[in-house]
Amino acid sequence: MNLISLFITSAIVNNIIFSQFLGACPFLGVSKKIDTAAGMGIAVIFVITLASVITYIVQKAILDTLGLQYLQTIMFILIIAALVQFVEMFLKKSAPGLYQALGIYLPLITTNCAVLGVAIINITKEYSFIEAMVNSVGTSLGFLIAIVLFAGVRDKVDNADLPESLKGSAISLVAAGLMSIAFLGFSGLQL
Amino acid sequence: MNKLDIFKNGVTKENPILVQQVGMCATLAVTTSLLNGIGMGIAVIAVLTGSNIVISLLRKFIPDEVRIPAFVIIIAAFTTIVDLLMHAYTFALYQALGVFIPLIVVNCLILARAEAFAFKNGVVDSIVDGLGMGVGYLVAMILLSSVREFLGNGTLFGINVLPASYEPMMIAIQPPGAFIILGLLIGLVNYLSRRKKA
Amino acid sequence: MKNSYVRLGGILFLIAAISAGVLAFLNDSTKDLIAKNEAMAATSPEVLEAVMPGSVMFNDYADAALVETIKSENGKFVNLQTAVDGSNNELGYVVRTFSTVAGYGGDMELFVGISPDGKITGVNVVSHSETSGLGSRTTEPSFTSQFAGKDATAEITDFDAITGATKSSKSFLSAVNNAISIYDQYLK
Repeated sequence: MNLISLFITSAIVNNIIFSQFLGACPFLGVSKKIDTAAGMGIAVIFVITLASVITYIVQKAILDTLGLQYLQTIMFILIIAALVQFVEMFLKKSAPGLYQALGIYLPLITTNCAVLGVAIINITKEYSFIEAMVNSVGTSLGFLIAIVLFAGVRDKVDNADLPESLKGSAISLVAAGLMSIAFLGFSGLQL
Repeated sequence: MNKLDIFKNGVTKENPILVQQVGMCATLAVTTSLLNGIGMGIAVIAVLTGSNIVISLLRKFIPDEVRIPAFVIIIAAFTTIVDLLMHAYTFALYQALGVFIPLIVVNCLILARAEAFAFKNGVVDSIVDGLGMGVGYLVAMILLSSVREFLGNGTLFGINVLPASYEPMMIAIQPPGAFIILGLLIGLVNYLSRRKKA
Repeated sequence: MKNSYVRLGGILFLIAAISAGVLAFLNDSTKDLIAKNEAMAATSPEVLEAVMPGSVMFNDYADAALVETIKSENGKFVNLQTAVDGSNNELGYVVRTFSTVAGYGGDMELFVGISPDGKITGVNVVSHSETSGLGSRTTEPSFTSQFAGKDATAEITDFDAITGATKSSKSFLSAVNNAISIYDQYLK
């Protein structure tokens, strides 16, 4: 598979939310307004890409060479947690503007299964380093697209006149399902 | 709170999926068949109860400042134990659940119970809490996966339960079905609990 | 202040070390079963049944040096394995090889099963690029099943080619014959 089609596949065709279901918690939790959704999406791109670089190197250089593959889960989650802390401290000091915009989302990202999920998928699919990077950027871009689009839809849904029981997360999930149907259409793309 | 209340709390009043809506990724992804849903539910019960036990045993030993990283290590260790055991003994299920087994570690439900319950309560209560929340998770998985498999494939546990003339609603086992059916299930639960209150 | 950092780090390290120790032990005790599961999953049940009826998996051939020798002497040869049944009894050899005569889309890659007493047990196509609907029919059981039971001690010359796909059929046959020559030369 060439890199461009890998990119399009990971961003749109196999969209991380609508077909892989990774990152569903922040997707439902932080999508009430378009600008917070965009902030979360950008923070996720940032962390997923960084985390993928580091976990890929650790897997190949340490775990594979020492035969310690069974420590993958522990290593990866610790790397991600440490990385998020580090990024937070770094942004606070050197880019206060960016920190104000993204800071509140960073702690939430540690338990965002998208980050760990992409790191593990890069390894199990036996991607090369370049392919892993393309997959990470594409997948996280797909997350941004999904969460921003969804926030737009939700804005309207929340103001709709609905039966009391369906209000909130129930109708949000149904709306996400309808968007997922739209994304199913992309699976017809010949890449 | 007595033991029965702790247990019932997890299954009904604070059901992790249907009421708290945490740990959604795996819920949506693996409920394409009843067998997968039950398998995932049991895996989560094992990790949740195991980490609850260890964390409540170590609660005097773990300093407050580093409790979160300590929880993460313990939960990751239990996740890996479940991963290895399923890889060795239930291989078909292991393949079906794929990446969602290691992802149990980031299931917010487990970290939340460690922080909110196990770190503050004794071992026995923590076991009951783990089992209660775990069973609540399993019940929701069974509900969702049985509806999806029934509509999407006309089967339950892979056995035909509908006449051959039934045209399966493919959408139910495809990704959109996961969102829509879970949304409707949550709506139903809201409706029932509102009626009970009224 | 410094001391408390050391203490905190020490406690975390202790928890991590104990966890790693438990996992190392468990990994060690499950790794044989896991390797067996992976090996069984590497080949699909349909392929197993087609190549060597009754087999549950293909194991690497015990004499790795021999496999390397065949590789260096026979350019089309890919791998030699042993087919085993559920109770780990060896049922026969499985030769994986490319064809020596190209079809329309280049070489075809086949699994050829050969029993210890020198009969072909079955053939399955691993990969090919023959024309869909014509040459691709060499992958169908109606064509491949004619080889089962044939003598593997001599080259096969007599077979029913697919009408309109003679070149693909001959490419297929050349791969079977390459497996036969490997059996005759190294395994008989």
